Amino acid sequence: MIEVENLSKRFGKTEAVAGLSFRVEPGTITGFLGPNGAGKSTTLRSILGLVHPDSGRTVVLGVPYRQLDRPLHRVGAVLEASEVHPGRSGRNHLRVLAAAAGLPRSRVEEVLALVELSAAAKRRVKGYSLGMRQRLGLAAALLGDPEVLVLDEPANGLDPAGIRWLRDLLRALAAQGRTILVSSHVLAEVAQTVDRVVIIHRGRLIQQAAMAEVLAGAQGATRVRSPDEARLRESLAREGFALSEADGVLLVEAAPERVGELAAANGIVLHELGVERATLEEVFLELTGGETTE
Amino acid sequence: MSAGVYSEWLKIRTTRGWYAYLTVTILLVGVAVAGDVGSSDDERRSSLDFQLGLVDAAGFASLLAVILGITIVTTEFRHGTITPTLLAEPQRELVVAAKAVAAVLVSLLFALIGLAIVAAVGLPWLSIVDAEVHLDGDVGTRALQVLLVTVLWGLIGVAVGVLVQSQIAALVGTLIWIFLAENLLIGVLGLLDIDGAAPYLPFQALDAADGNGGDELLSYWPGVGVSLAWTALLGLVGTERLRRRDIT
Repeated sequence: MIEVENLSKRFGKTEAVAGLSFRVEPGTITGFLGPNGAGKSTTLRSILGLVHPDSGRTVVLGVPYRQLDRPLHRVGAVLEASEVHPGRSGRNHLRVLAAAAGLPRSRVEEVLALVELSAAAKRRVKGYSLGMRQRLGLAAALLGDPEVLVLDEPANGLDPAGIRWLRDLLRALAAQGRTILVSSHVLAEVAQTVDRVVIIHRGRLIQQAAMAEVLAGAQGATRVRSPDEARLRESLAREGFALSEADGVLLVEAAPERVGELAAANGIVLHELGVERATLEEVFLELTGGETTE
Repeated sequence: MSAGVYSEWLKIRTTRGWYAYLTVTILLVGVAVAGDVGSSDDERRSSLDFQLGLVDAAGFASLLAVILGITIVTTEFRHGTITPTLLAEPQRELVVAAKAVAAVLVSLLFALIGLAIVAAVGLPWLSIVDAEVHLDGDVGTRALQVLLVTVLWGLIGVAVGVLVQSQIAALVGTLIWIFLAENLLIGVLGLLDIDGAAPYLPFQALDAADGNGGDELLSYWPGVGVSLAWTALLGLVGTERLRRRDIT
Protein backbone atom coordinates (compact mmCIF):
# COMPACT_ATOMS: atom_id res chain seq x y z
CA MET A 1 0.00 0.00 0.00
CA ILE A 2 2.82 2.35 1.00
CA GLU A 3 6.33 1.12 0.33
CA VAL A 4 9.55 2.89 1.19
CA GLU A 5 12.59 1.24 -0.36
CA ASN A 6 16.11 2.15 0.62
CA LEU A 7 15.22 5.82 0.90
CA SER A 8 18.07 8.27 1.47
CA LYS A 9 17.99 12.05 1.58
CA ARG A 10 20.52 14.64 2.64
CA PHE A 11 19.95 18.34 3.16
CA GLY A 12 23.40 19.86 2.89
CA LYS A 13 25.47 18.22 5.60
CA THR A 14 22.46 16.80 7.41
CA GLU A 15 21.63 13.21 6.65
CA ALA A 16 17.86 13.28 7.11
CA VAL A 17 17.05 9.74 5.96
CA ALA A 18 19.63 6.97 5.43
CA GLY A 19 18.65 3.78 3.64
CA LEU A 20 15.19 3.53 5.18
CA SER A 21 12.85 0.73 4.10
CA PHE A 22 9.44 -0.21 5.45
CA ARG A 23 5.96 -1.16 4.30
CA VAL A 24 2.52 -0.10 5.40
CA GLU A 25 0.00 -2.87 4.88
CA PRO A 26 -3.50 -2.18 3.54
CA GLY A 27 -6.20 -1.61 6.11
CA THR A 28 -3.89 -0.97 9.05
CA ILE A 29 -3.08 2.06 11.16
CA THR A 30 0.66 2.31 11.36
CA GLY A 31 2.41 4.59 13.80
CA PHE A 32 5.52 6.22 12.37
CA LEU A 33 7.61 7.03 15.39
CA GLY A 34 10.89 8.67 16.20
CA PRO A 35 12.27 11.58 18.16
CA ASN A 36 12.13 15.07 16.67
CA GLY A 37 14.59 15.27 13.80
CA ALA A 38 14.57 11.51 13.15
CA GLY A 39 13.58 12.02 9.51
CA LYS A 40 9.83 11.40 9.78
CA SER A 41 8.68 14.49 7.90
CA THR A 42 11.29 14.05 5.18
CA THR A 43 10.12 10.46 4.68
CA LEU A 44 6.44 11.43 4.57
CA ARG A 45 7.17 14.27 2.14
CA SER A 46 9.12 11.85 -0.06
CA ILE A 47 6.16 9.47 -0.07
CA LEU A 48 3.97 12.39 -1.21
CA GLY A 49 6.29 13.45 -4.04
CA LEU A 50 7.21 16.76 -2.38
CA VAL A 51 10.84 15.86 -1.61
CA HIS A 52 13.14 14.25 -4.18
CA PRO A 53 15.06 11.35 -2.62
CA ASP A 54 18.81 11.17 -3.30
CA SER A 55 18.35 7.44 -3.76
CA GLY A 56 15.72 4.79 -3.19
CA ARG A 57 12.04 5.13 -3.96
CA THR A 58 8.60 5.44 -2.48
CA VAL A 59 5.41 3.91 -3.80
CA VAL A 60 1.79 4.61 -2.86
CA LEU A 61 -0.98 2.35 -4.15
CA GLY A 62 1.47 0.76 -6.56
CA VAL A 63 3.00 3.86 -8.15
CA PRO A 64 5.08 6.88 -7.17
CA TYR A 65 2.72 9.61 -5.85
CA ARG A 66 3.37 11.83 -8.87
CA GLN A 67 1.97 9.20 -11.19
CA LEU A 68 -1.33 8.88 -9.29
CA ASP A 69 -4.34 9.85 -11.33
CA ARG A 70 -6.51 12.31 -9.33
CA PRO A 71 -4.27 11.97 -6.24
CA LEU A 72 -6.64 13.64 -3.73
CA HIS A 73 -9.16 10.89 -4.45
CA ARG A 74 -6.60 8.23 -3.56
CA VAL A 75 -4.37 9.71 -0.84
CA GLY A 76 -5.13 12.35 1.80
CA ALA A 77 -2.37 14.06 3.75
CA VAL A 78 -2.04 16.36 6.73
CA LEU A 79 1.40 17.90 6.97
CA GLU A 80 2.05 21.17 8.79
CA ALA A 81 -1.06 22.82 10.13
CA SER A 82 0.27 26.23 9.10
CA GLU A 83 0.12 25.60 5.36
CA VAL A 84 -2.99 27.71 4.84
CA HIS A 85 -3.34 31.29 3.58
CA PRO A 86 -4.17 33.22 6.77
CA GLY A 87 -6.48 35.62 4.96
CA ARG A 88 -8.67 32.91 3.47
CA SER A 89 -11.63 31.45 5.35
CA GLY A 90 -11.57 27.79 6.28
CA ARG A 91 -14.40 27.11 3.84
CA ASN A 92 -12.63 28.90 0.98
CA HIS A 93 -9.38 27.04 1.70
CA LEU A 94 -11.29 23.80 1.20
CA ARG A 95 -13.16 25.13 -1.84
CA VAL A 96 -9.83 25.90 -3.54
CA LEU A 97 -8.64 22.33 -2.96
CA ALA A 98 -12.00 20.82 -3.92
CA ALA A 99 -11.89 22.78 -7.17
CA ALA A 100 -8.39 21.50 -7.93
CA ALA A 101 -9.55 17.93 -7.31
CA GLY A 102 -12.73 18.36 -9.33
CA LEU A 103 -14.95 17.82 -6.28
CA PRO A 104 -18.33 19.46 -5.76
CA ARG A 105 -18.88 22.26 -3.23
CA SER A 106 -21.22 20.04 -1.24
CA ARG A 107 -18.23 17.85 -0.33
CA VAL A 108 -16.62 20.87 1.38
CA GLU A 109 -19.63 21.18 3.70
CA GLU A 110 -19.52 17.45 4.41
CA VAL A 111 -15.90 17.44 5.56
CA LEU A 112 -16.40 20.67 7.53
CA ALA A 113 -19.17 18.90 9.44
CA LEU A 114 -17.05 15.78 9.86
CA VAL A 115 -14.25 17.70 11.61
CA GLU A 116 -16.80 19.84 13.52
CA LEU A 117 -15.63 23.08 11.95
CA SER A 118 -18.86 24.19 10.24
CA ALA A 119 -19.51 26.97 12.73
CA ALA A 120 -16.09 28.54 12.12
CA ALA A 121 -16.03 27.94 8.35
CA LYS A 122 -16.70 31.58 7.48
CA ARG A 123 -13.90 32.92 9.67
CA ARG A 124 -10.47 33.69 8.30
CA VAL A 125 -7.89 31.07 9.20
CA LYS A 126 -5.73 33.77 10.82
CA GLY A 127 -8.09 33.62 13.82
CA TYR A 128 -8.05 29.82 14.15
CA SER A 129 -6.41 28.07 17.07
CA LEU A 130 -3.75 25.46 16.32
CA GLY A 131 -6.30 22.76 17.08
CA MET A 132 -8.76 24.26 14.57
CA ARG A 133 -6.01 24.38 11.96
CA GLN A 134 -5.28 20.71 12.56
CA ARG A 135 -8.97 19.97 12.03
CA LEU A 136 -8.96 22.04 8.85
CA GLY A 137 -5.94 20.05 7.66
CA LEU A 138 -7.80 16.80 8.37
CA ALA A 139 -10.84 18.12 6.49
CA ALA A 140 -8.60 18.85 3.49
CA ALA A 141 -7.12 15.36 3.66
CA LEU A 142 -10.58 13.78 3.72
CA LEU A 143 -12.02 15.86 0.84
CA GLY A 144 -11.46 13.21 -1.80
CA ASP A 145 -12.60 10.32 0.45
CA PRO A 146 -9.16 8.71 -0.02
CA GLU A 147 -8.28 5.12 0.82
CA VAL A 148 -4.87 6.12 2.18
CA LEU A 149 -4.18 8.79 4.80
CA VAL A 150 -0.75 10.17 5.68
CA LEU A 151 -0.70 12.33 8.80
CA ASP A 152 2.35 14.13 10.15
CA GLU A 153 2.08 14.79 13.89
CA PRO A 154 -1.68 15.46 13.73
CA ALA A 155 -1.92 15.62 17.51
CA ASN A 156 0.45 18.59 17.76
CA GLY A 157 -1.32 21.54 19.31
CA LEU A 158 -4.40 19.55 20.30
CA ASP A 159 -5.57 19.64 23.88
CA PRO A 160 -6.38 16.33 25.63
CA ALA A 161 -9.99 16.48 24.44
CA GLY A 162 -8.75 17.14 20.91
CA ILE A 163 -6.37 14.20 21.08
CA ARG A 164 -9.19 11.93 22.17
CA TRP A 165 -11.37 13.28 19.34
CA LEU A 166 -8.54 12.61 16.86
CA ARG A 167 -8.04 9.11 18.19
CA ASP A 168 -11.74 8.31 17.80
CA LEU A 169 -11.77 9.78 14.29
CA LEU A 170 -8.73 7.76 13.21
CA ARG A 171 -10.25 4.59 14.61
CA ALA A 172 -13.49 5.28 12.76
CA LEU A 173 -11.59 5.94 9.53
CA ALA A 174 -9.56 2.76 9.94
CA ALA A 175 -12.72 0.79 10.65
CA GLN A 176 -13.91 1.86 7.19
CA GLY A 177 -10.93 -0.04 5.80
CA ARG A 178 -8.62 2.88 5.14
CA THR A 179 -4.87 2.62 5.43
CA ILE A 180 -3.39 5.20 7.78
CA LEU A 181 0.22 6.18 8.39
CA VAL A 182 0.45 8.58 11.31
CA SER A 183 3.68 10.04 12.66
CA SER A 184 4.37 11.07 16.21
CA HIS A 185 7.32 11.68 18.49
CA VAL A 186 5.33 10.41 21.46
CA LEU A 187 4.69 6.66 21.48
CA ALA A 188 2.02 6.83 24.16
CA GLU A 189 0.04 9.25 22.02
CA VAL A 190 -0.58 6.66 19.33
CA ALA A 191 -0.17 3.45 21.36
CA GLN A 192 -3.92 3.01 21.81
CA THR A 193 -4.70 3.74 18.18
CA VAL A 194 -2.18 1.98 15.98
CA ASP A 195 -1.90 -1.66 14.90
CA ARG A 196 1.71 -1.51 13.89
CA VAL A 197 4.68 0.74 14.48
CA VAL A 198 7.65 1.77 12.41
CA ILE A 199 10.27 3.31 14.68
CA ILE A 200 13.11 5.31 13.16
CA HIS A 201 16.03 7.19 14.60
CA ARG A 202 18.60 9.30 12.76
CA GLY A 203 16.99 8.38 9.47
CA ARG A 204 17.36 4.64 10.04
CA LEU A 205 14.85 1.92 10.83
CA ILE A 206 14.99 0.80 14.47
CA GLN A 207 11.98 -1.47 14.61
CA GLN A 208 9.02 -2.43 12.49
CA ALA A 209 6.56 -4.50 14.47
CA ALA A 210 3.01 -5.05 15.58
CA MET A 211 2.03 -2.81 18.50
CA ALA A 212 1.39 -5.95 20.57
CA GLU A 213 5.05 -6.93 20.20
CA VAL A 214 6.21 -3.55 21.35
CA LEU A 215 3.89 -3.77 24.33
CA ALA A 216 5.31 -7.21 25.10
CA GLY A 217 8.75 -5.66 25.01
CA ALA A 218 7.53 -3.23 27.59
CA GLN A 219 7.37 -6.12 30.07
CA GLY A 220 10.45 -5.30 32.07
CA ALA A 221 11.37 -7.22 35.20
CA THR A 222 9.77 -9.28 37.92
CA ARG A 223 9.53 -7.60 41.28
CA VAL A 224 10.12 -9.89 44.22
CA ARG A 225 10.50 -9.40 48.00
CA SER A 226 11.42 -12.09 50.49
CA PRO A 227 12.43 -12.23 54.19
CA ASP A 228 15.05 -14.75 53.08
CA GLU A 229 16.63 -12.56 50.49
CA ALA A 230 20.12 -14.09 50.62
CA ARG A 231 18.87 -17.57 49.67
CA LEU A 232 16.57 -16.16 47.00
CA ARG A 233 19.46 -14.28 45.45
CA GLU A 234 21.57 -17.40 45.53
CA SER A 235 19.01 -19.60 43.80
CA LEU A 236 18.20 -16.94 41.19
CA ALA A 237 21.90 -16.45 40.47
CA ARG A 238 22.32 -20.24 40.13
CA GLU A 239 19.67 -20.17 37.35
CA GLY A 240 21.60 -17.38 35.66
CA PHE A 241 18.94 -14.65 36.03
CA ALA A 242 20.26 -11.11 36.10
CA LEU A 243 19.01 -9.20 39.09
CA SER A 244 19.27 -5.84 40.73
CA GLU A 245 18.01 -4.36 43.96
CA ALA A 246 15.99 -1.25 44.57
CA ASP A 247 14.39 -0.16 47.88
CA GLY A 248 14.64 -3.61 49.42
CA VAL A 249 13.01 -5.21 46.37
CA LEU A 250 14.76 -7.52 43.93
CA LEU A 251 14.20 -6.89 40.22
CA VAL A 252 14.73 -10.10 38.26
CA GLU A 253 14.94 -10.35 34.52
CA ALA A 254 12.71 -13.36 34.25
CA ALA A 255 9.00 -14.06 34.06
CA PRO A 256 7.19 -13.96 37.45
CA GLU A 257 6.07 -17.57 36.88
CA ARG A 258 9.71 -18.73 36.77
CA VAL A 259 10.64 -16.77 39.89
CA GLY A 260 7.64 -18.13 41.81
CA GLU A 261 8.39 -21.72 40.79
CA LEU A 262 12.01 -21.35 41.79
CA ALA A 263 11.08 -19.95 45.21
CA ALA A 264 8.60 -22.80 45.80
CA ALA A 265 11.09 -25.43 44.74
CA ASN A 266 13.58 -24.07 47.28
CA GLY A 267 11.02 -23.47 50.00
CA ILE A 268 11.63 -19.74 50.11
CA VAL A 269 8.88 -17.52 51.53
CA LEU A 270 7.87 -14.63 49.28
CA HIS A 271 6.17 -11.46 50.56
CA GLU A 272 5.69 -9.94 47.15
CA LEU A 273 5.80 -11.11 43.57
CA GLY A 274 4.78 -8.92 40.65
CA VAL A 275 5.54 -7.45 37.27
CA GLU A 276 7.53 -4.25 37.01
CA ARG A 277 6.35 -2.81 33.72
CA ALA A 278 8.57 -0.38 31.90
CA THR A 279 6.53 2.51 30.58
CA LEU A 280 6.05 2.90 26.86
CA GLU A 281 8.21 5.97 26.96
CA GLU A 282 11.03 3.97 28.55
CA VAL A 283 10.76 1.37 25.80
CA PHE A 284 10.74 4.10 23.19
CA LEU A 285 13.73 5.85 24.71
CA GLU A 286 15.58 2.58 24.96
CA LEU A 287 14.90 1.76 21.31
CA THR A 288 16.01 5.16 20.16
CA GLY A 289 19.08 5.26 22.34
CA GLY A 290 17.55 7.62 24.87
CA GLU A 291 18.56 10.68 22.91
CA THR A 292 16.96 13.17 20.62
CA THR A 293 18.67 15.13 17.92
CA GLU A 294 17.24 18.40 19.13
CA MET B 1 -6.30 21.52 -16.41
CA SER B 2 -9.56 23.48 -16.28
CA ALA B 3 -9.97 22.32 -12.68
CA GLY B 4 -6.52 23.74 -11.96
CA VAL B 5 -7.39 27.08 -13.57
CA TYR B 6 -10.68 27.30 -11.67
CA SER B 7 -8.83 26.52 -8.44
CA GLU B 8 -6.32 29.30 -9.19
CA TRP B 9 -9.15 31.74 -9.90
CA LEU B 10 -10.74 30.85 -6.55
CA LYS B 11 -7.38 31.39 -4.82
CA ILE B 12 -7.15 34.88 -6.31
CA ARG B 13 -10.75 35.78 -5.52
CA THR B 14 -10.76 34.55 -1.93
CA THR B 15 -8.02 36.84 -0.62
CA ARG B 16 -8.22 40.53 0.13
CA GLY B 17 -5.26 41.44 -2.05
CA TRP B 18 -7.43 40.90 -5.08
CA TYR B 19 -9.94 43.57 -4.00
CA ALA B 20 -7.08 45.95 -3.21
CA TYR B 21 -5.66 45.46 -6.73
CA LEU B 22 -9.09 46.06 -8.26
CA THR B 23 -9.61 49.22 -6.22
CA VAL B 24 -6.17 50.55 -7.08
CA THR B 25 -6.72 49.86 -10.79
CA ILE B 26 -10.02 51.71 -10.76
CA LEU B 27 -8.60 54.66 -8.80
CA LEU B 28 -5.39 55.01 -10.83
CA VAL B 29 -7.16 54.87 -14.19
CA GLY B 30 -10.01 57.10 -13.04
CA VAL B 31 -7.73 59.77 -11.60
CA ALA B 32 -5.42 59.69 -14.64
CA VAL B 33 -8.29 60.12 -17.11
CA ALA B 34 -9.96 62.84 -15.07
CA GLY B 35 -6.63 64.64 -14.67
CA ASP B 36 -5.88 64.46 -18.39
CA VAL B 37 -9.28 65.68 -19.51
CA GLY B 38 -9.51 68.33 -16.80
CA SER B 39 -6.10 69.83 -17.49
CA SER B 40 -6.39 70.04 -21.28
CA ASP B 41 -7.94 72.73 -23.48
CA ASP B 42 -10.78 72.11 -25.92
CA GLU B 43 -8.60 71.88 -28.99
CA ARG B 44 -6.35 69.27 -27.43
CA ARG B 45 -9.32 67.31 -26.08
CA SER B 46 -10.58 66.83 -29.62
CA SER B 47 -7.29 65.47 -30.96
CA LEU B 48 -6.82 61.79 -31.72
CA ASP B 49 -3.45 61.77 -29.93
CA PHE B 50 -5.05 62.99 -26.74
CA GLN B 51 -7.79 60.40 -26.89
CA LEU B 52 -5.29 57.62 -27.58
CA GLY B 53 -3.49 58.87 -24.46
CA LEU B 54 -6.71 58.46 -22.50
CA VAL B 55 -6.95 54.84 -23.63
CA ASP B 56 -3.31 54.40 -22.56
CA ALA B 57 -4.37 55.33 -19.02
CA ALA B 58 -6.04 51.92 -18.84
CA GLY B 59 -2.49 50.60 -19.09
CA PHE B 60 -2.15 51.15 -15.33
CA ALA B 61 -3.80 47.75 -15.25
CA SER B 62 -0.50 46.24 -16.44
CA LEU B 63 1.24 47.40 -13.26
CA LEU B 64 -1.36 45.56 -11.18
CA ALA B 65 -1.18 42.61 -13.57
CA VAL B 66 2.56 42.12 -13.02
CA ILE B 67 2.13 42.37 -9.23
CA LEU B 68 -0.73 39.88 -9.37
CA GLY B 69 1.27 37.59 -11.66
CA ILE B 70 4.14 37.56 -9.18
CA THR B 71 1.98 37.11 -6.10
CA ILE B 72 -0.19 34.26 -7.39
CA VAL B 73 3.00 32.21 -7.47
CA THR B 74 4.98 33.57 -4.54
CA THR B 75 2.13 33.68 -2.04
CA GLU B 76 2.10 29.87 -2.22
CA PHE B 77 5.68 29.75 -0.95
CA ARG B 78 5.14 32.53 1.56
CA HIS B 79 2.23 30.77 3.26
CA GLY B 80 3.28 27.20 2.52
CA THR B 81 0.13 26.57 0.48
CA ILE B 82 2.39 25.17 -2.26
CA THR B 83 2.22 21.89 -0.30
CA PRO B 84 -1.56 21.34 -0.65
CA THR B 85 -1.40 22.74 -4.18
CA LEU B 86 1.21 20.15 -5.21
CA LEU B 87 -0.61 17.36 -3.37
CA ALA B 88 -3.66 18.10 -5.53
CA GLU B 89 -1.58 18.42 -8.74
CA PRO B 90 1.82 16.76 -8.39
CA GLN B 91 2.81 17.62 -11.99
CA ARG B 92 4.45 20.91 -11.14
CA GLU B 93 4.59 22.20 -14.71
CA LEU B 94 0.80 21.86 -14.85
CA VAL B 95 0.50 24.01 -11.73
CA VAL B 96 2.60 26.70 -13.44
CA ALA B 97 0.49 26.38 -16.60
CA ALA B 98 -2.74 26.77 -14.62
CA LYS B 99 -1.36 29.88 -12.92
CA ALA B 100 -0.31 31.32 -16.29
CA VAL B 101 -3.79 30.80 -17.73
CA ALA B 102 -5.38 32.31 -14.62
CA ALA B 103 -3.00 35.29 -14.87
CA VAL B 104 -3.99 35.83 -18.52
CA LEU B 105 -7.69 35.82 -17.62
CA VAL B 106 -7.32 38.12 -14.62
CA SER B 107 -5.01 40.48 -16.56
CA LEU B 108 -7.65 40.70 -19.29
CA LEU B 109 -10.25 41.43 -16.64
CA PHE B 110 -8.10 44.21 -15.14
CA ALA B 111 -7.50 45.73 -18.57
CA LEU B 112 -11.20 45.56 -19.45
CA ILE B 113 -12.07 47.25 -16.17
CA GLY B 114 -9.42 49.90 -16.93
CA LEU B 115 -10.92 50.49 -20.37
CA ALA B 116 -14.41 50.63 -18.89
CA ILE B 117 -13.22 53.33 -16.45
CA VAL B 118 -11.65 55.26 -19.32
CA ALA B 119 -14.95 55.11 -21.19
CA ALA B 120 -17.07 55.86 -18.12
CA VAL B 121 -15.03 58.91 -17.12
CA GLY B 122 -13.76 60.10 -20.51
CA LEU B 123 -16.79 59.76 -22.81
CA PRO B 124 -19.37 61.75 -20.79
CA TRP B 125 -16.81 64.43 -19.97
CA LEU B 126 -15.70 64.83 -23.59
CA SER B 127 -19.30 65.03 -24.76
CA ILE B 128 -20.20 67.59 -22.11
CA VAL B 129 -17.39 69.87 -23.33
CA ASP B 130 -18.46 69.18 -26.92
CA ALA B 131 -15.15 67.62 -27.93
CA GLU B 132 -15.01 65.61 -31.14
CA VAL B 133 -14.73 61.94 -30.09
CA HIS B 134 -12.67 59.64 -32.33
CA LEU B 135 -14.25 56.26 -31.74
CA ASP B 136 -12.66 54.94 -34.89
CA GLY B 137 -10.18 52.21 -35.77
CA ASP B 138 -7.17 53.82 -34.09
CA VAL B 139 -8.78 54.05 -30.69
CA GLY B 140 -10.10 50.52 -31.02
CA THR B 141 -6.65 49.23 -32.00
CA ARG B 142 -5.07 50.98 -29.03
CA ALA B 143 -7.65 49.42 -26.72
CA LEU B 144 -6.74 45.96 -28.05
CA GLN B 145 -3.07 46.80 -27.56
CA VAL B 146 -3.81 47.71 -23.93
CA LEU B 147 -5.48 44.33 -23.46
CA LEU B 148 -2.51 42.48 -24.97
CA VAL B 149 0.20 44.39 -23.11
CA THR B 150 -1.61 43.87 -19.80
CA VAL B 151 -1.62 40.14 -20.48
CA LEU B 152 2.12 40.28 -21.30
CA TRP B 153 2.83 42.02 -17.97
CA GLY B 154 0.73 39.47 -16.10
CA LEU B 155 2.58 36.60 -17.76
CA ILE B 156 6.06 37.97 -17.10
CA GLY B 157 4.94 38.40 -13.48
CA VAL B 158 4.13 34.67 -13.27
CA ALA B 159 7.49 33.85 -14.90
CA VAL B 160 9.40 36.04 -12.42
CA GLY B 161 7.40 34.58 -9.53
CA VAL B 162 8.19 30.99 -10.54
CA LEU B 163 11.86 31.85 -11.02
CA VAL B 164 12.40 33.81 -7.80
CA GLN B 165 9.76 32.10 -5.55
CA SER B 166 10.42 34.44 -2.61
CA GLN B 167 7.64 37.04 -2.53
CA ILE B 168 9.59 40.01 -1.21
CA ALA B 169 12.59 39.32 -3.45
CA ALA B 170 10.39 38.96 -6.53
CA LEU B 171 8.35 42.13 -5.91
CA VAL B 172 11.23 44.35 -4.79
CA GLY B 173 13.59 42.86 -7.36
CA THR B 174 11.13 43.54 -10.18
CA LEU B 175 10.63 47.17 -9.09
CA ILE B 176 14.39 47.69 -8.79
CA TRP B 177 14.90 46.05 -12.17
CA ILE B 178 12.26 48.20 -13.89
CA PHE B 179 13.19 51.53 -12.36
CA LEU B 180 16.93 51.17 -11.78
CA ALA B 181 18.76 48.10 -12.99
CA GLU B 182 17.53 48.16 -16.56
CA ASN B 183 18.37 51.85 -16.95
CA LEU B 184 21.86 51.21 -15.55
CA LEU B 185 22.22 48.32 -18.01
CA ILE B 186 21.22 50.59 -20.87
CA GLY B 187 23.98 52.96 -19.73
CA VAL B 188 26.50 50.15 -19.55
CA LEU B 189 25.48 48.90 -23.00
CA GLY B 190 26.02 52.45 -24.26
CA LEU B 191 29.50 52.60 -22.74
CA LEU B 192 30.32 49.27 -24.35
CA ASP B 193 29.10 50.69 -27.66
CA ILE B 194 26.43 48.00 -28.01
CA ASP B 195 23.41 50.17 -27.25
CA GLY B 196 21.66 48.40 -30.13
CA ALA B 197 20.98 45.62 -27.62
CA ALA B 198 19.14 47.92 -25.19
CA PRO B 199 15.68 47.63 -26.82
CA TYR B 200 15.84 43.89 -26.34
CA LEU B 201 15.93 44.17 -22.54
CA PRO B 202 12.70 42.75 -21.09
CA PHE B 203 10.97 45.89 -19.92
CA GLN B 204 12.16 47.91 -22.91
CA ALA B 205 10.47 45.26 -25.06
CA LEU B 206 7.31 45.47 -22.92
CA ASP B 207 7.45 49.26 -23.30
CA ALA B 208 7.49 48.80 -27.06
CA ALA B 209 4.53 46.44 -26.77
CA ASP B 210 2.19 49.12 -25.37
CA GLY B 211 1.61 50.41 -28.90
CA ASN B 212 2.74 53.92 -27.95
CA GLY B 213 6.01 53.72 -29.90
CA GLY B 214 9.25 55.40 -28.87
CA ASP B 215 12.52 56.39 -30.50
CA GLU B 216 14.73 54.02 -28.56
CA LEU B 217 12.31 51.09 -28.69
CA LEU B 218 11.57 48.15 -30.93
CA SER B 219 8.52 48.50 -33.15
CA TYR B 220 5.24 46.97 -31.98
CA TRP B 221 5.23 43.32 -33.03
CA PRO B 222 8.95 42.74 -32.41
CA GLY B 223 8.34 44.25 -28.98
CA VAL B 224 5.54 41.76 -28.33
CA GLY B 225 7.71 38.90 -29.60
CA VAL B 226 10.74 39.80 -27.48
CA SER B 227 8.52 40.21 -24.39
CA LEU B 228 7.09 36.75 -24.93
CA ALA B 229 10.57 35.33 -25.47
CA TRP B 230 11.75 36.76 -22.12
CA THR B 231 8.64 35.41 -20.41
CA ALA B 232 9.21 31.98 -21.92
CA LEU B 233 12.88 31.96 -20.92
CA LEU B 234 12.27 33.08 -17.31
CA GLY B 235 9.23 30.82 -17.05
CA LEU B 236 11.00 27.70 -18.32
CA VAL B 237 14.04 28.20 -16.09
CA GLY B 238 11.69 28.90 -13.17
CA THR B 239 9.55 25.82 -13.88
CA GLU B 240 12.65 23.64 -13.99
CA ARG B 241 13.73 25.16 -10.68
CA LEU B 242 10.33 24.40 -9.18
CA ARG B 243 10.39 20.84 -10.52
CA ARG B 244 13.68 20.19 -8.76
CA ARG B 245 12.83 21.96 -5.53
CA ASP B 246 12.23 19.99 -2.34
CA ILE B 247 9.05 21.25 -0.70
CA THR B 248 9.91 20.97 2.99
